[in-house]
Amino acid sequence: MPSTAFMADVILAPWLVIVPLVGALLAGLWPATARWWGLLTALATLVLALLLALQVHGQGPVVLALGGWSPPLGIALVADGLASLMVLMTAGVGLAISLYALGYLGGTARGRWFWMLWLWLWAAMNALYLSGDVFNLYVTLELVVLASVALVALAGGAAPLAAAMRYLLVSLLGSMAYLMGVVLLYGAYGTLDLQGLGAQVTLSAAPMMAAVLMTVGLLVKSALFPLHVWLPPAHGSAPAPVSAALSALVVKVSFYLILRLWLMVFPELTLPGLDLLMGGLAAAAVLWGGVMALRVSRLKQVVAYSTVAQVGYLFLLFPLLWAAPGGWQAVVFFAVAHGVAKAAVFLAAGTLQQAAGHDRLAELGAVMRGRLKTSFALGIAGASLVGLPLTGGFIAKWLLVQSALEAHLWGWAVVVLGGGLLAGAYVFRLLGPAFEPGPGDRGRPLPAIMEWVPLSLALLTIALGFAGTPALALLARTLVGGGG
Amino acid sequence: MTRHRAAATLMPLMSLALAGLLVVAVLDLPPQSGLAEPVAGAMDRAGVDHPVTAVLLNFRAYDTFLELAVLLLAVLAVWSLGRRDPIPARPVQGPVLHGTLRHLIPVAVVTGGYLVWVGSSDSGGAFQGGAVLGAAGVMLMLSRPRELPMLPAPLQRLGLALGVCVFLAVGTAGLLAGHGFMGYPPDWAYPLILGIELVAALSIALTLVLLFLGGRHGH
Repeated sequence: MPSTAFMADVILAPWLVIVPLVGALLAGLWPATARWWGLLTALATLVLALLLALQVHGQGPVVLALGGWSPPLGIALVADGLASLMVLMTAGVGLAISLYALGYLGGTARGRWFWMLWLWLWAAMNALYLSGDVFNLYVTLELVVLASVALVALAGGAAPLAAAMRYLLVSLLGSMAYLMGVVLLYGAYGTLDLQGLGAQVTLSAAPMMAAVLMTVGLLVKSALFPLHVWLPPAHGSAPAPVSAALSALVVKVSFYLILRLWLMVFPELTLPGLDLLMGGLAAAAVLWGGVMALRVSRLKQVVAYSTVAQVGYLFLLFPLLWAAPGGWQAVVFFAVAHGVAKAAVFLAAGTLQQAAGHDRLAELGAVMRGRLKTSFALGIAGASLVGLPLTGGFIAKWLLVQSALEAHLWGWAVVVLGGGLLAGAYVFRLLGPAFEPGPGDRGRPLPAIMEWVPLSLALLTIALGFAGTPALALLARTLVGGGG
Repeated sequence: MTRHRAAATLMPLMSLALAGLLVVAVLDLPPQSGLAEPVAGAMDRAGVDHPVTAVLLNFRAYDTFLELAVLLLAVLAVWSLGRRDPIPARPVQGPVLHGTLRHLIPVAVVTGGYLVWVGSSDSGGAFQGGAVLGAAGVMLMLSRPRELPMLPAPLQRLGLALGVCVFLAVGTAGLLAGHGFMGYPPDWAYPLILGIELVAALSIALTLVLLFLGGRHGH
């Protein structure tokens, strides 16, 4: 493979942090041109992310010692299958969000802040995915939180401000718990390097406590039931591009970190009952999120509760992690499929909201009939959330059920399928108004890009239906720890 | 009300339980010296004589860089809220504060500068020096709230971002020159570290003053 040989010596991972960071700094220093820097950065980051995924696919995980100081003294950047897939998903969804924001926010004063904060968020997420050091991960986590909180507050007004404040406090609590875990790990093993820790962690009090603190801290940020209460107001009240970024990407960040820790640092720890507890919470999240999505009356609230439900699926990770080899890869593919579909749904919802001037579901029928491209996008992406065939969501749920059945975990397979029924119910509820008889109305005039971007993302969920094999091949090149 | 009371009883109990578990976990920790040995072994290539500075600005420079970025992002996040409160503090009457500050601020500037300078060989560094300079700035603001010598907005932004920009430029140059991202050429480590610390201290001081002011002089 000539492309692999060509890429072999190229150092890519740091550029995925440098490029969005330079974009963020330029957007901040020169606000009038912020959106053009944003667009340029989004394109460059997507190209780099594709190259990184190809490189990792071709030659396996890349570990870089920053500044030439190898761990435990220095910090390692780890670009493996898992990290590069998350970077790629973020870059794809990120480009779509950036293009959409051109239409949604344009060059307004609020838009300038959006571009700068959004590029900061992007840089922070990439830094987190690629970090191989538990303390460095903490710092990147703080950057993610600060940028996301400011983005939530960007909507202005009392409700978004209160949602942002609550989100900040909850996130800080989570960060503190995570940091306590870091301190315990350093105290026990004298290193902060993920690989170094993974080689040493054995079953004893300090690492068990660290595992619990870090996992719970990150669960708060991932909004797993019953720690989800902050999510619907924060995601539901933010501007549409921000909602999409938070629901599609930021929630996945803390899920990714939990997965990373349990794959690389804690695989030797088998806390009794953990899989049952987490699986139970996951099932409760699927149920509660689904039921709430059927009850709330505003479009964006439905979508936000759908995120609560879909986060539940992510944490079927724990029952699958030990029992089903390859089960975690199914969960990651689910995270990617959900990321793309949820971004499409939130952006489509934003378009309908802007066109109608409100997002009361019962009164959206005319605008949905008038804006067929957007309603179509909502339908396709919704089908992926449900897991209907021909979509990425279908492949993701297929993989989940398959690995659950292979491990004879019938109960969890039932949760996946039952959750799909609930998702079907709330997606049909979303689309329902479009099928009522009556004339269509395009509502307020909007830039065309706000209709094309959700549609493109929705079509991407169909493309993901055919991406199962390459994604799993990439995920096979992931570093796992423990066992010597 | 009952919910609050239940929470008020539950929270201390939960906190106690957590504290107990933490004590058990800490008692379980083996005695070990952490990274002291690897750090001591690499000091001859660190460019500075003080191990803390070597860790912060060289071995784990990427962490410090991202922490500077956290400070910068904090100001930007505060500004993005768009609040424009009038400054509540009234100028302090009488000659005492003004007279004291006239002597105190030059001392603070010298102390802050010294702390940055001495960081390479003793306790000190950009964060400490920047904090002293920032405190001097806050005192100045408090004493003369109506006649603040404020920088124009583009210069404020540049000053805030200077530390992060210079650090990132040096780190990227290290990557291009083959020393790894956030790496220095060994012979240049000391001047580069000192340069980064100086601009970082200025940015940190400005960050603290502008955070104190909130959004009042943002844009």
